Amino acid sequence: MRLHHLGLAIAIAAAAPFAALAEDTIKIGFPMPLSGPTAVYGVPVTKGAELAVAEINAKGGVLGRKLEIVSRDSKANADEAVRVARELVIKDNVDFLAGTLTSAEAPAVSTIAKENKVVFVAPVAKTTKLTAPENLHPYIFRVASNTTIEGRTMAATVAKWTDVKTVGTIAPDYAYGRDAVAAFVEYLKKLRPDIQIVDQQWPKLGEPDFTPFITAQMSKKPDAVMCDVFGGDFVTLAKEAGPLGYFKAINNRLVDGAEVGTVDEAQALGADYPYGIISDTYDPVVWAGGNEPPEHKAYEERLKAAMKSDYGSGWAIQGYTAIVALAAGITKAGSTDSDKVAAAMLGLSFDTPAGKRTIDPKTHETLAGEFWGEMVKDPAYPFAVMKSPTYVDPQPLMN
Amino acid sequence: MSLSSLFSQFMGGLTAAMFLFLIASGLSLIFGVLRVLNFAHGSFYMIGAYMAWQVVHWVTTTTGHFWLAAAGAVIGVAILGGIIERLLFRYLYGREELYQLLFTYALVLILGDAAKFTWGTEQLSVSRPSILDSSLVVFGTIVPEYNLFIIVIGPLIALGVWLMLTRTGLGRMVRAAALDREMLDALGANVGWLYTGMFMLSAALAGLAGALVTPIQSIVPGMDVEIIVQAFIVVVIGGLGSFWGTFWGSMLYGQVLSFGILIFPGFSLFSVFALMAVILIVRPWGLFGRPIR
Repeated sequence: MRLHHLGLAIAIAAAAPFAALAEDTIKIGFPMPLSGPTAVYGVPVTKGAELAVAEINAKGGVLGRKLEIVSRDSKANADEAVRVARELVIKDNVDFLAGTLTSAEAPAVSTIAKENKVVFVAPVAKTTKLTAPENLHPYIFRVASNTTIEGRTMAATVAKWTDVKTVGTIAPDYAYGRDAVAAFVEYLKKLRPDIQIVDQQWPKLGEPDFTPFITAQMSKKPDAVMCDVFGGDFVTLAKEAGPLGYFKAINNRLVDGAEVGTVDEAQALGADYPYGIISDTYDPVVWAGGNEPPEHKAYEERLKAAMKSDYGSGWAIQGYTAIVALAAGITKAGSTDSDKVAAAMLGLSFDTPAGKRTIDPKTHETLAGEFWGEMVKDPAYPFAVMKSPTYVDPQPLMN
Repeated sequence: MSLSSLFSQFMGGLTAAMFLFLIASGLSLIFGVLRVLNFAHGSFYMIGAYMAWQVVHWVTTTTGHFWLAAAGAVIGVAILGGIIERLLFRYLYGREELYQLLFTYALVLILGDAAKFTWGTEQLSVSRPSILDSSLVVFGTIVPEYNLFIIVIGPLIALGVWLMLTRTGLGRMVRAAALDREMLDALGANVGWLYTGMFMLSAALAGLAGALVTPIQSIVPGMDVEIIVQAFIVVVIGGLGSFWGTFWGSMLYGQVLSFGILIFPGFSLFSVFALMAVILIVRPWGLFGRPIR
């Protein structure tokens, strides 16, 4: 009898770890555009998140449990993002949400996080509305930059060009572009009241032909341009604007805060890149100035191996950072309970390959700055690289 | 506003019009002859662009690689079009329009996914051919040589297709097929292969446009749907099935878009949709179309 019990106990004890392994992964729902034109960002961001999960798991996971990403295609569409986020929470029982790309998806998924009391970390969406006081709730966090930081950084850059008296803007016609241009114009007026905004162009997102916008802007003869066109749209703009003499007419004084300084963008444009413009990236990947932090170099090697790509991606770090932030929050809370993790994340500091980040308890944001620099030709690379990438701390700009 | 800036706006509109014409002409031709509204026509354009990139990628050493790429895209897309017509499209003739639209829309999704599977989701890009990579100054305005080349080639192709349709025996057959397929069949003509040929020609035009657009635009997933909407607007403005209607519809679309941006910068899309709305109200059959009785 006793022996029988012992046998049962051993059997249960032996089976338990396997059951625990299957049951006890910490699931993170990851809605992200994996199809359509914005998949060029969604795929590397997801790869970055997967890399972070693999690394954390290799070191034993969080609270002794493995992390698991449940990836879903949000199709860059707010309705679809809401649908998959709800499904992730209700059907797949995920413990946390991270992801979304566009400024349309993130605020929509944020409402799902609020309803279901699930912590949600947004790695890419920049719209200020996501964490505006009226939309803020205990479960939303952002590790991306935001349109106010972006617009003001661009204004500070333009303000330094002392001989510039007139400025044109060109940005995609939706929340992101409108917010960034508004922040730029407002801050520039403060820094340089003598500068006039002489032209504003609003091509739609995915505009196939920029020529008429470019020639219309050139006819107003701005001294410099603030541009927020990105991705494939920027490739088109640059290829059409170059031969029209656009960059020459403004002496290459164009600042683009929409991450066209990433290696992804530089590779897509190749020799057609408008050298001499100022742009930004979350992760320069190639540090032409030689000031690369060693922890970044190690991360980049791992990323290249994981992505099976020569230059990785400047976007992957955002997915990576979102997972690192969540893992740090869970560790600090000592629990996967959403309320405890949400509380632990306020004021939380964590290390990323691009430097230390801290979540501001008031705004729920890391106030991430980006690396800025002039995009130059470098004989060592077949594409444009950022000259001495400089991290711009947004803190002084926020007052 | 100076005269030179008006001229550069005009040239921009003209370049856009020529691309639209190359794509919309194939769409219009297929509707005119085969009576199918081919929603997947934009996919041929996209695949043409990807094929051109592929050839450039393979042949990196020679200087004439862009022209080789354009030829490769035209032939490749024509063959693809031929296969699709033989295997799938021929079952659509004479079916209800809704059925055709659903079917061609399914093709858009299939071809879109196939392109994504083959070439990935990164934006790709091709450099201008070296003999056309500088710019000229015309009336005090910088005009890229490549744009001039497009402006010349558009009307040449229009003329070529028009001559083929009106002056050759083949063209006579095509027009006869458009009027009465069964009669032509009864007269002993091989209508099946004639349709395949027309479909391949229309696909080749889209493939050519796709290849020619690569030096000035990025190749991205989604460019298929983007262009088909514009091509539809052009075909509606010009008149469904009317060849010259498509030509002048493209010209009008290009200029209205270009000057709309100059005059109402905040409402870049407004002008073309306003144009389409006005034409649909005043002449629902388009500028060069005939009212359907």
